[in-house]
Amino acid sequence: MTRHDPGNVPGSDSGSDSGRDSGCDSGQDTRSASSSPGRMLYPARSTWRSPAGAREFGLALLLAGIVGVVGFCDPVFLSGVVWRDILVRCAPAIIVSCGVMIVVVLGEIDISVGSMMALLAALLGKTISSHELQWSSWAGIPLVLLSGAAIGCVTGVVVTVGRVPSIIASLGMLTLLRGFATLAMGGKNIDGLPDAVVQASKTGWLGVPIGPWTALLVVLATYFLLTRTAIGVRIYATGSHSDSAGYAGLPVRGLRVFAFCYAGFLTAVATVVDVPRLPKIEAGIGNELELFVITSVVLGGVSISGGRGRLSGVVLAVVLLTLVRPVLTFLNVGESAEKWTKAIHGLFILLAVISDRFSATMDQRRES
Amino acid sequence: MNGSSGWRRIAMSQEMILAVILAGLLAVASWLMPRFLEWQGQLNLSRQLWETALISMGMTLVIIAGGIDLSVGAIMGLCAIAFGICHQFTESVGWASAACLLTGIGCGACNGGLIAATGVHPLIVTLATMAAFRGMAEGISQGESYSRFGEDFARVFASQGPFGIAVGGWITVTLAIVLAVVLSQTRWGRYLRAVGGNERAAQFAGVPVERLKFTLYLGMGLLSACATLIYVARFDTAKADAGRGMELEVITAVVLGGTSVFGGSGQIRGTVLGLLLIHETRLFASRYWRIDELRQIVIGCLLIGAVAAYQAVRKSKV
Amino acid sequence: MNPLPVLRIDRLGKRYGATLALHDVTLDVAPGEVHALCGENGAGKSTLIKILAGVVRPDSGTITVCGRPLRGGDVGASERAGIAVMHQQPAVFPDLDAIDNLFVGHELTRCAGLWLDRPAMRRRAETTLAALGETFPVDIPVGDLSLAQRQMTALARALRRNCRLLILDEPTASLSARETAALHAAIDKLRQQNVAVLYVSHRLEELFTIASRVTVLRDGARVLTCPLAAIDRAGLIQAMVGRAADGQNFDPTRSSDAVRPTPTRSPAMLRVEQLGREPAFHDVTFSVAKGEIVGMAGLIGAGRSEIARAVFGIDRYDSGSVFVDGQRLSGASVREAVQAGIALVPEDRHREGLLGSLAIDENISLAQLPRLSSWGFIRRRRERTVVGEQIRQLSIKLGAPSAPVQTLSGGNQQKVVLGRWLSTAPRILILDEPTRGVDVGAKAQIHAWIRRLADQGMAILLISSELPELLSLCDRIVVLRQGRVAGEFDHDDATAAKVMSRALPDSDRGKPP
Repeated sequence: MTRHDPGNVPGSDSGSDSGRDSGCDSGQDTRSASSSPGRMLYPARSTWRSPAGAREFGLALLLAGIVGVVGFCDPVFLSGVVWRDILVRCAPAIIVSCGVMIVVVLGEIDISVGSMMALLAALLGKTISSHELQWSSWAGIPLVLLSGAAIGCVTGVVVTVGRVPSIIASLGMLTLLRGFATLAMGGKNIDGLPDAVVQASKTGWLGVPIGPWTALLVVLATYFLLTRTAIGVRIYATGSHSDSAGYAGLPVRGLRVFAFCYAGFLTAVATVVDVPRLPKIEAGIGNELELFVITSVVLGGVSISGGRGRLSGVVLAVVLLTLVRPVLTFLNVGESAEKWTKAIHGLFILLAVISDRFSATMDQRRES
Repeated sequence: MNGSSGWRRIAMSQEMILAVILAGLLAVASWLMPRFLEWQGQLNLSRQLWETALISMGMTLVIIAGGIDLSVGAIMGLCAIAFGICHQFTESVGWASAACLLTGIGCGACNGGLIAATGVHPLIVTLATMAAFRGMAEGISQGESYSRFGEDFARVFASQGPFGIAVGGWITVTLAIVLAVVLSQTRWGRYLRAVGGNERAAQFAGVPVERLKFTLYLGMGLLSACATLIYVARFDTAKADAGRGMELEVITAVVLGGTSVFGGSGQIRGTVLGLLLIHETRLFASRYWRIDELRQIVIGCLLIGAVAAYQAVRKSKV
Repeated sequence: MNPLPVLRIDRLGKRYGATLALHDVTLDVAPGEVHALCGENGAGKSTLIKILAGVVRPDSGTITVCGRPLRGGDVGASERAGIAVMHQQPAVFPDLDAIDNLFVGHELTRCAGLWLDRPAMRRRAETTLAALGETFPVDIPVGDLSLAQRQMTALARALRRNCRLLILDEPTASLSARETAALHAAIDKLRQQNVAVLYVSHRLEELFTIASRVTVLRDGARVLTCPLAAIDRAGLIQAMVGRAADGQNFDPTRSSDAVRPTPTRSPAMLRVEQLGREPAFHDVTFSVAKGEIVGMAGLIGAGRSEIARAVFGIDRYDSGSVFVDGQRLSGASVREAVQAGIALVPEDRHREGLLGSLAIDENISLAQLPRLSSWGFIRRRRERTVVGEQIRQLSIKLGAPSAPVQTLSGGNQQKVVLGRWLSTAPRILILDEPTRGVDVGAKAQIHAWIRRLADQGMAILLISSELPELLSLCDRIVVLRQGRVAGEFDHDDATAAKVMSRALPDSDRGKPP
């Protein structure tokens, strides 16, 4: 979330240019030496940087360590069945995280993905279920994908044209979409989705359901987008310093709308590949998805102020967080231990962020 | 342009927009349902309001100071469990309440300490503690719920005070007045706006930034605990999922009220108006439409529309 | 033969409400010319730059670039016409590396714009930088580079964009002498490629080195354009200020009959002993006596501001101690320092001094609030008195005390920060670059103030990068080099050459200052 305070658009000063300096903003200032925010969602950038790849390395190490230890204690943990299950579980989160990651790198945030998924699931159910409209999947699924993109665009437009800070815009959308979703469900659950769709979601090809396959595709596509295309460079640039981006002639507004649109589209993709494998579509779908996704993005090393972050970190973070529950099960700590999953998630973020801060202070002391 | 009235004009404009929306809603509502504005009816649902209102007052100050606290709902959950467990062992509502308050203070101190000491963004810290506290509540309680706290307890917070407003309501009103005074008349109010506007410069000016932040988040923890007491008294149940979604509701109210998410400015009275707006919408939705979902849709649209309007106003004035 | 000018401005005008920011300004810059632009703050320089950059649309007049008219108010048009602006804080993307910084917005791609051609971009980037005489790693985030290197990156980007007119706005204000020389060398290379340069600076000496012609703006109008060979510093100042000045910004001969205790015999009010914090500074010892003005000279990065912040309690230090009037400070908090009577006017008034969320009067009273309130409640009348006093004493020009602080000019903003601290009646005043970015008139006022405060017994520590300022104002000058005290001079001993030679790191010793 960058500081895109509209009042600070330079050149729009209608006051007299009596040689006053470029304003001490009441809003955010760029590149202040002070680490965190005088403003909340729009923090001044810290001057420290951890070495590139440090976070991914740490996550990979942790992941390998956990898998190694649990696998040692109970070799069943390393079996294909277990991992297939884990991959299926984290697939939707990976897909959505790719989209939200781009939004965060751009300097914004989107907390409405969970409600979006609920609404899109309802839409999917209503259109292609045999108990409802009974449309062909070839019509229903593209409709859902298009709707996801459209909803994302709406958020993007609210942020760019309405100049509503993205946290508020997505908060509003979250409430709004959840309302629509519950309304659409009408208090009932939906089931009876066409077989082909359900089968793809449950069994798929080569023993792996469509979820993980799609996740792989999405990760590759997003990686390509971020690192090999001009759009990727521009996204990082805008997140890094949105004012300069404007001066450099980058289409900042277009990029923002694109990011939200992409996130919406990917949420729809995740809905389509994951929801059919559930026994029925309920109104509570997607509950806390946004929390999980933002947690993953932050844990994965993406900076909340924008401009920095790698996809590999995010993917590793999703897998790590998804692993917590099955690991607790395998360690036979008892059913009660599963309830501690969320606490462990919180602990992870805290550790990650504090360790970053710590290593950065060490860096500052070491170099002159 | 005269600077001072310019500032005041901005404030008035945002509140004017809010007041207009509120007035419009009330007008439409009472036209469609002639007895909408009746006091008793208003009070019936008002009991749900007080927890949110209590926390919103504190959150206003936190956001003005440039911070945010996403963990308030989770703190409520943990406090509820603390209350329930303590009550189970001591059979005393007094001790249970103490446990609840202490837990809230502890959580708040945790937040405050982490934010003040590490300098990590409050969004991330409270995101983490939100998960941690809720997780702890779920882990400790294992899904159990505690209840049967006795008639007296329910009466303390849920009983009618003067004007038929519950005791919880009066606590909130008093807090609102106190905080409004603090914000406008005391030096801490000015310190809050300073820190929210430019934290580094505030440091250079001798403002005790770390202490301020710590106190703020500690206060939020305490407020969440108080809200938990009201909540538990109302439902006569204490569960780990108490306060779910509270943080979003509170932030909605504060932002609707015109407080800028960037920090540096904001008013308690704005938050009051925001809360009123949410409350009236809920009332209207439950009576007239009888569909809760429409309320959510309306509030979502209101939030986006109102903030877009505020931004337009801000841009045109500066 | 008259070559076609790269830039021709004809009767440019811009009005902001009641103020005429620019009036009938005519100017031209030839290819390969470095054209200096001077003027006080408020003269219209920044408005002119904004118009050329396309950020602001002019109300009247025309701009022609290489014979073609330029459409006003269009950043893209200005960019396409070949105008590049480089500000003091270069507009680069700190998280991107130099390669991306050079190419963002105009990336080299294969396959119809989809696949980035990184090897080609890298080669071009390195070539461009080499053409400017610079080599630094192109694949680390630019935010990790020094300010000078970031400026070079911005210059390289301008060059890559085939810029025809390069506008430099105070580029050397934060650079060391060596970096300034490197920048000038780079500009020279650009000049040889027939790029026209518009160079804005308050550092008049620099202009004589680098520019061929100068235009002076005053109150929005052009008062003078002439070759720099035909004018001297005094003449420039006179044109800028509109009245005969001493030829310098201050009075070099202080009143020798001032009754003041000879500083060296007074006990030290502020004594710093072996103060250290790795890696910023080590073993720093100096003192400031009552009524004495001690200057702190040194290059950027020598550690002066860090020392000031440590003394003031904002940053910690690892070793050594700070004594105020014999009492040792623990250095734990700013409040302790303030209560001991120290005040610090920081270097960066936007980020460290002023609070945009507060009004002018609230800014002034901020440091004093505990004294102005009882039981936490602010006593408004007391506040108004204190604030009014500072406004009067410092002659702060404002609309109303309750106006937002952004409405003030740079010089007046500095006075607000000064007023904030003066109202605490400090015994020790630390000033960090107090006249940076301040116009000639306000600068003279501030200097007069500093002298008066010292005469009244305040101990003053003056950190400044402007040697003339230090040489004239200070009783003693302490020179810092790479975090250590490298020398100390009395007023009578000190010369620019001596101070500079102490300030330069060993490798630069022996080079002309």
